[in-house]
Amino acid sequence: MLEGLVSPESLSLSYADMSVPERLKWLQQLQQQEVLSQSSNDSPELLQILQFHGSNNDELLQSTFSHFQMLGSGFGTNYNMGFGPSHEAMDGCISRTGSCQIDPADTMGVMLKNSEENRAISLKTKRKSEVKTREQEKTEKKIKVEAETESNMKGKSNMSNKEAYSDTLKETSKGASEIQKLDYIHVRARRGQATDRHSLAERARREKISKKMKYLQDLVPGCNQVTGKAGTLDEIINYVQSLQRQVEFLSMKLAVLNPELDLSVEDLSVKQFQAYSSNLPVIVASKPLIMVDVPLFPLDQQGSLDLSVINLNQTTTIEAVRFYHSENFSDYSKFLLLVWEVTCLLYLFASAIYKLGNSVT
Amino acid sequence: MERQIISKKKQVFSVEPTKLSPSEVFTRKYTSHLVPALKKLNMDKNSSQINQVTVKHEVDMALALSAQEFAWGRFLLQKLSSADSKSSSSNQTQILERSNDEDGEIEEKMKELQELLPGGKEMNVEEMLSEIGNYIKYLELQTSALKTIVQDTT
Repeated sequence: MLEGLVSPESLSLSYADMSVPERLKWLQQLQQQEVLSQSSNDSPELLQILQFHGSNNDELLQSTFSHFQMLGSGFGTNYNMGFGPSHEAMDGCISRTGSCQIDPADTMGVMLKNSEENRAISLKTKRKSEVKTREQEKTEKKIKVEAETESNMKGKSNMSNKEAYSDTLKETSKGASEIQKLDYIHVRARRGQATDRHSLAERARREKISKKMKYLQDLVPGCNQVTGKAGTLDEIINYVQSLQRQVEFLSMKLAVLNPELDLSVEDLSVKQFQAYSSNLPVIVASKPLIMVDVPLFPLDQQGSLDLSVINLNQTTTIEAVRFYHSENFSDYSKFLLLVWEVTCLLYLFASAIYKLGNSVT
Repeated sequence: MERQIISKKKQVFSVEPTKLSPSEVFTRKYTSHLVPALKKLNMDKNSSQINQVTVKHEVDMALALSAQEFAWGRFLLQKLSSADSKSSSSNQTQILERSNDEDGEIEEKMKELQELLPGGKEMNVEEMLSEIGNYIKYLELQTSALKTIVQDTT
């Protein structure tokens, strides 16, 4: 195909030899051949232009000149085309198309493709512009979403968000009717739902909150059984309160024991902490159990308190007390500890009865 | 000889100290803040009674200093340095009533949670939820550290 296009005989004629009308004829021939060959190429824009320009001689000259420049650049130094003034243009052409040494056989195809690329930007056909604007929209939305969520990026959700974002970078096909809703939480407007920006943002916010609730559920022990936002929030509140109370209790102990303390930082090694962190669930679990089971008292038995449950909890606290008292404490400190534990228990009783009273009325 | 003993003691530490998890980092920071403070308290107040409030203050201060990367930590530090005597912890006397409306209930609980968290009132809901997660974790670490301190030295 290409050989017929650029026959060596035609090119053996030096350009200067041809008279102007001959040149034009030759160019037309070339163009027609190009037009024919381009049926196989996917460049309708070029086809349009060539067809358009084919009628008008001046424009034909222009287009074919520029075309020739591209052709000329491909042929390298083999053929002296005799373009005096257009050498610079040719050089410019080379840099534009970016192809210096190509096989003559491939040249036409490459040149045509390159020219198509170069012309695509200036052409702005309907199809191309559509795709472009769609891309622009997407990038705009991406940038806006990025700006929005930049401030909200937290560590834990950061990596998962970035993965979702890279997934959403895939472009839709040209024939796609819907534009994908790109959002960090990958919210998609379903059928029958509002697609305006506000409701999308609302939904994204809600999903963020639910994600965080799930994370908190994992963190707080015993939270998995309870379902619903209110229940988990309850659990979390109880847990935080119990932790804070524990800290108070320990600091009180520390205050009591402070004069007797023989503090040396080297002894408090990390591994010991780890050992105690494994012990932690035992003690910590006892305290939240006390708090958690209080609302779960079987109240459907007409308000009668299940005392066995209370006794069970009592034993756990008493065990904790025994645990502490196994150390060598002075009598006074032991007394203080007992007082503290008793007040804790009294408070628990009071809160249980109060809640009971509230639920019954 | 002493060096050997010390090196033997130090063998308990991890061999690669650069690979510290954040919980370890925190416990180290925490103890390094708390223990000297307690020692100082010990030495300064020779009277028999060491106030529990001051100890609690030191405990909270150590927590705040070791958790500066979180908003609640910074807030706690601010509150402590301004010598605010009000304690933000244990709401022993506050038991809120719950309304019957579901949304309102959730909102009330969020508010309660906000009160528990130091600096929670100034945050919006999303921020607070993530801060609460950190706060819980670091409270747990703090309790274990305190336990170790108390039990190691008695």
